[in-house]
Amino acid sequence: MSILAYNGSAVIAMKGKDCVAIASDLRFGIQGQTVSTNFEKIFEMGPHLYIGLPGLTTDTFTVLNKLKFRANMFELKEDRKIAPDVFLSMVSNLLYERRFGPFFVEPIIAGLKPKTFEPFIASMDLLGCPNKPEDFVVAGTASEQLYGMCEALWEPDLSPEDLFETISQALVNACDRDALSGWGASVYIIEKDKVTHRRIKTRMD
Amino acid sequence: MALEALLGVKESFVHPFAAEEEGKGDFVINSFNNQLQLSLPPLANPLSSRTNFESEECGRKIKINFDHGTTTLGFVYKNGVILAVDSRATGGQYIGSQSMKKIIEIHKYLVGTMAGGAADCVYWDRVLAKQCRLYELRNKSRISTAAASKLMANMAFSYKGMGLSMGMMIAGYDKNGPSLYYVDSEGQRTKGKVYSVGSGSVYAFGVLDSGYSFDLEDNDAYELARRSIYHATYRDSYSGGIIRVYHMKSTGWEVISQQDCLELYHKYKDDKPLLSQ
Amino acid sequence: MAMPRSYGGLSDYRTVPAPSFSPYSENGGSVVAVAGDDFAIIASDTRLSTGFQIYTRNQSKLFKLSDKTILGSTGCWCDVLSLTRLVQTRIKMYQYDHNKVMSTPAVAQMLSVLLYYKRFFPYYVANILAGIDDNGKGVVYSYDPIGHHESSKFRAGGTAGALLQPLLDNQLGMLNQENVQDKTYTLEKAHAIVKDVFISAAERDIFTGDRISINIITKDGIREDSFELRKD
Repeated sequence: MSILAYNGSAVIAMKGKDCVAIASDLRFGIQGQTVSTNFEKIFEMGPHLYIGLPGLTTDTFTVLNKLKFRANMFELKEDRKIAPDVFLSMVSNLLYERRFGPFFVEPIIAGLKPKTFEPFIASMDLLGCPNKPEDFVVAGTASEQLYGMCEALWEPDLSPEDLFETISQALVNACDRDALSGWGASVYIIEKDKVTHRRIKTRMD
Repeated sequence: MALEALLGVKESFVHPFAAEEEGKGDFVINSFNNQLQLSLPPLANPLSSRTNFESEECGRKIKINFDHGTTTLGFVYKNGVILAVDSRATGGQYIGSQSMKKIIEIHKYLVGTMAGGAADCVYWDRVLAKQCRLYELRNKSRISTAAASKLMANMAFSYKGMGLSMGMMIAGYDKNGPSLYYVDSEGQRTKGKVYSVGSGSVYAFGVLDSGYSFDLEDNDAYELARRSIYHATYRDSYSGGIIRVYHMKSTGWEVISQQDCLELYHKYKDDKPLLSQ
Repeated sequence: MAMPRSYGGLSDYRTVPAPSFSPYSENGGSVVAVAGDDFAIIASDTRLSTGFQIYTRNQSKLFKLSDKTILGSTGCWCDVLSLTRLVQTRIKMYQYDHNKVMSTPAVAQMLSVLLYYKRFFPYYVANILAGIDDNGKGVVYSYDPIGHHESSKFRAGGTAGALLQPLLDNQLGMLNQENVQDKTYTLEKAHAIVKDVFISAAERDIFTGDRISINIITKDGIREDSFELRKD
């Protein structure tokens, strides 16, 4: 079993019309054993900026702390909030610094760009290779299932309500076919003037 | 050994050249005539060789995932035997099925549960069912639970070391009353009162042991079995789906309930723990 | 493979490498089958590949076993060919012995036994069997490589199995959809969904693409259909 699948996780982000969504499952396990069912893998990194860190949980926290430090330093030096595309470069650099002894996380970033409020999503492999598609990004142990769901359900210019429904259906149905993720889900819909956080009920087995 | 001889089971039928007899053509399937005679790899020593079954010609890993993972339990109490199982089949971490039948009805007074390799359990249970039926026709009486489980253990033992993966409970009601046997692919066979087998068994035992007593009433026994499996499905990733409870009575087996885990989750969510009641 | 050792800096002086042999190859492909009340649909893509190379863009993975039964088989293509030849022969032998066509449930059980016969040197195949039973009802059986099988209403298998199955659960099984009363589906709806899920799979699975070959089984016989997928 890959070390990336040691704790189990599923994270997904999607673009909509003037909004983005990012969602994750809530399981934290050790291989087959479910330890916690209330484990958030998505973290707020600024206004309109969220990062999901699926993979090995110990590295999730290490990477998160390092990123918070760097993002805070950026804010102090520049006297402005960090933009999603800048943050992507920051994460990518952080991961590539450990090219030969990597952190086992596959980050997903979702946010709105400052001023224009243009939707932004991106994903990375564990070495920091960035990927900025126009539709959706997925990562975690259920990634195959998520790709299948998203490829069929996603369409351009979804409203926040439709985006919520789409991302939720994609995540929940994908997790139902993956042993290592599920046990509840958490969805963030990021709009210009508000961020909505919802918990979704799912199967608990 | 007289019973095996009667049923045409040879004590040792695994030898490299038994399977493919020459000159019989490509389409002879030995196991059609004798279910115990499976094909062996065309290698001098099937158990160790230089053949690489793990990757394909380009060096990619072969994903030859057999269906696995289970929680099953069984216990004997004053009114018979209770069996309870989940219904999830996983190949690696992918959930292949959420509706698998892990209790196999061999006949009206004999059922088996399956854990480990799904194909192994189903195949050998089917072979056992045939042998039990033949015994009944020859002897005008049903085979005892002890004899049936021993047939299974002997079949498993003859393939020991070949990589079969089975952990099954055989529950029956015969003239000696209810009984429960554990049989596995290592050839082990033991009679007992309380068993749980599979990846989620550790969780099931936790609940089962705290509530088990030989003098349970029927409904308490069903609920204990159901709860034990439910808690295993919650903690064990490789268990889930539908929880089935069976009761082996003096009148034969009966299905008590088949409920989805989600339904039970909502039912148990607000309940007080068992011990505080 | 054992690493060739070099002696005294002479890289061309090598010992004989340890013999090694892999009997399996992964030739890819996906199969989807859906059973309805009076029909069964089975579809496969037509790409046959190895690694990053494509052998052909026009090889259906569906095998007609009778007027009521079709087998979809992917994985190691040589195993697929051996297995399907064996199944087809055994079905003929059954027909001559019993003077009747083998029913779909009977084929399903026989296939399981044939796969388990090779328990210790398995066929590397993902099988899905679709057909109509003696009552004219659609049935789908799916298999693991050593013959464990289960009947279901819809099933996806092969390299894109994990991508396709949750979609079928959601769109045909109505899983995680609230307030759905009617869980049945028509032939037309099933047909459309089969096409849709393959389009999705072809986007992300490199072993699935080119074209899908669809077979629709009803009591009136088998109707064939084809649908183009992306070819990159």
